[in-house]
Amino acid sequence: MNLFYKIITFRPSFGLRIVTGLVGIVLSLAICGIVGLTDMVAAQLKTNDEAFEGRLMEAGAKVYFEQCARCHGLQGKGADGAAPAISSIAFLGAQNTNPPTPSQRLKDIGWIGSLESYIEAVTTSGIPIKSSQAWEQNHPPFAQRFAGPLRDDQIKNVTKFVANWRLKPFTDGVVDAPKPGAGSGPQPTPMPLGPKENAGLEVFKGAGGCTACHAVRGVAAGAVGPTLNKLVSTAEKRVTQADYKAAGGKATDAAGYIRESIVAPNTYIVPDCPQGACPSGVMIQNLQQILKPEELENLIAYLMTLR
Amino acid sequence: MAIIGQKLVRQIRETGWKATVAQRTDDAFTRFTAGLTWDDVRGILRGDPPAKPNPRVKPHTEGFWFHIRPTFYHEAVTTLYPTFRLGYLSALFFLIETITGMFLMIFYTPSPERAFTNMIDILTNVPFGSFMRDLHRLGAEAMVVVVTLHMWRTYITGSYKKPRQFTWFTGVVLLIITMFLSFSGYLLPWDQLAFWAVTIGTSMADAAPLVGREVNLLLRGAPDIGAGGLLRFYLFHVLLFPLIGIVFLGVHYYKVVRWGISLPPELEAIGEDTARKVDQTKRVMFMPDIITNEIMYAAVAMAILAVSCATWYTAPLETHSNPQVTPLHTVAPWYFYWLQGLIKIPHILPFPDTLNFINKPVDDFFALVGLTPKMLWGIVIPPIIIVLLFAIPYIDPNPSRRYKDRKIAIGLAVAFELLILYLSLGGIPTGVPGTGFGYVGGNPVVEVAQEFIPDEGESEVKAIPYDQLIVGKYPLANDPAIDERNAPRLREIVRAIYADIEHRKHTADPLGKKMPEEAEGDVQVKLLQENLKEFIITIRYIDENQAPQTFSKNAYIHKNSDYR
Repeated sequence: MNLFYKIITFRPSFGLRIVTGLVGIVLSLAICGIVGLTDMVAAQLKTNDEAFEGRLMEAGAKVYFEQCARCHGLQGKGADGAAPAISSIAFLGAQNTNPPTPSQRLKDIGWIGSLESYIEAVTTSGIPIKSSQAWEQNHPPFAQRFAGPLRDDQIKNVTKFVANWRLKPFTDGVVDAPKPGAGSGPQPTPMPLGPKENAGLEVFKGAGGCTACHAVRGVAAGAVGPTLNKLVSTAEKRVTQADYKAAGGKATDAAGYIRESIVAPNTYIVPDCPQGACPSGVMIQNLQQILKPEELENLIAYLMTLR
Repeated sequence: MAIIGQKLVRQIRETGWKATVAQRTDDAFTRFTAGLTWDDVRGILRGDPPAKPNPRVKPHTEGFWFHIRPTFYHEAVTTLYPTFRLGYLSALFFLIETITGMFLMIFYTPSPERAFTNMIDILTNVPFGSFMRDLHRLGAEAMVVVVTLHMWRTYITGSYKKPRQFTWFTGVVLLIITMFLSFSGYLLPWDQLAFWAVTIGTSMADAAPLVGREVNLLLRGAPDIGAGGLLRFYLFHVLLFPLIGIVFLGVHYYKVVRWGISLPPELEAIGEDTARKVDQTKRVMFMPDIITNEIMYAAVAMAILAVSCATWYTAPLETHSNPQVTPLHTVAPWYFYWLQGLIKIPHILPFPDTLNFINKPVDDFFALVGLTPKMLWGIVIPPIIIVLLFAIPYIDPNPSRRYKDRKIAIGLAVAFELLILYLSLGGIPTGVPGTGFGYVGGNPVVEVAQEFIPDEGESEVKAIPYDQLIVGKYPLANDPAIDERNAPRLREIVRAIYADIEHRKHTADPLGKKMPEEAEGDVQVKLLQENLKEFIITIRYIDENQAPQTFSKNAYIHKNSDYR
């Protein structure tokens, strides 16, 4: 109690005040000096700059895998019939060669600005005119300003991510030389569609959201999930396979297999997607809740026509 | 001009160069100090006794800044007790905030397109930028603490009593302004932390009956926070609140000087106020004693702040705000945890079932007038607390300031403070660490991933040194196949995730949820690009419907991103 009293009635002597005050002032000024020196002389600002450049690129990676990988692929190698490779030397140039390789793409179209500005411009506003007959679709606009899903800062970040492939491009990839996509290879046998199947086709293109990832000749060019041109024959083969049964698949015929793939997509993950086997959980998990029962039945009926 | 020149020439001729320069310099100096010569100032700083008549009172009559300060204090208020210099420190922090704020203002644009980029610019391109931001942020938090403590001190020593009721009143306004200043500044960085803390804060207003929607619209400028809301909060922060603050600070301080700083209660007769009647022998002159004291306090506070910002403190900056994504475990600022606690009330009551006999009729009553429990606790209670704070000096019937006469008042205050503490602890979004108190977590599987890769903010995973992120897939185990020498941190994290999952299998969380028995998983490190890796936690388990489930969460980690 005595100590407590001493503390709260403490009155610093005049000398103590002056000395403590001076120490405080000198210390504050010294800290300011140190901060100034580290910022400007020791290049702390540059370190911070690199750190944030890195963090923004991380944010860009997230955008890429949410928005761009769908067509350009998880490794930017492009996808059959959907989009060209963008992690290629032809597109980006390369910085791991000596001297650095310039971008062929920019040269071809006569872009005067930097690679970053080109990526940013295309992502923002899309490609306004058809610059190549190789692809069915022009690059769509992604900026919210152009009715797309992304904010400008997200586009800047994803630009950093894509341009970073320049350090070590994945492929030589020739720009605008698409690999055969849904437009070639095995074709579905034309089948007449009844009302039920037609309704199913609408679900396929609409409520089910299937076209975002799956390709069907003449209907959709999704490049994430397996191409469905020969779905029924594939399914019939699949239900007899040992690895399918080992994974817990219970279907015994094509219709059952298709149903299972829709309502419980993680049961068996096919190895032959355009970009290799997807991680589990890529396909929408709750289609059974999203779709009405009759929509699901119609969808299966439509898919059963893909022979 | 000619006349001045003639005078100068004459003076030099008569007294010589040296004396003339000395006299003229002192003259100019005296003008700045409003009446003190260089020798006077030197005497003050050396602690010399004053001459007679005392020249040191001159600035108090001549100059603006000193005329608002008293000439002398009562000896009894110059020790640490009773003021603890908290009022002075509050004003000091207000000044620090103003200066650092003006610095930051130069580099800031209140627009959703620019604000976050500006923040990064301040941290990466502006010399002293991050230091100033740290000072501003830490100073703001310190100011909330100091102002609150100041109110506490005033309450405990009974200094709000007659004739200082109105001083208290203006003080409560200043407390609220301090909170609002701090809260309005929260939004400006336009990161996720800012966006969601303020969304939560303003949606409380939204829940208010009748005017809630309109108040919310006025605050946000639109149904959701956007460009309009940011501009409004900016204007509140740099214009409206500081203006109100300065006006009330003026009134508050005038009252302090007018009535004098209240003496320790035991020095006065009950019901009397003798702070203004200071005996000649008890006077402590402002110059040199008080002013040196104040300079010392300012210097020490500034040094502590500067050292803190240069060493352990860094103002947080999360990722760009995203209205579409609410980060898990979003929080209000810590000084509003008690409000979060209030909203969680039925959940954090000590004996919810036992106390239901109070809780339920209260809820039922309010249901009659159309109020939900959330509205009751979040909307009705806080204004009542504020009104009570304002009213304290006018409703306290006790004329005595002595501690032994104020057992009830002080007891109530301590009880109130314990309650606030209790609510604040309950308001912590993840609950109080080590106990289950206030816990509101979800699926344990999600919580494990969130613990190691939080949606926002610091994380152990992101802090793993880049070269230790060795590409590969590592099943979670107590002894994972990772070389201790190459990647000790990675190994440690994989073990920690495993331990956490195992722990949650045996120990239910406070809501009774357990990790499914079969849960297992792996950690995968992928090289996405040169200098960019992906860290993925995958957990496989069987859910309550016996269906196999997989949950994974990832973080992208750049070589330079330097999360520490």
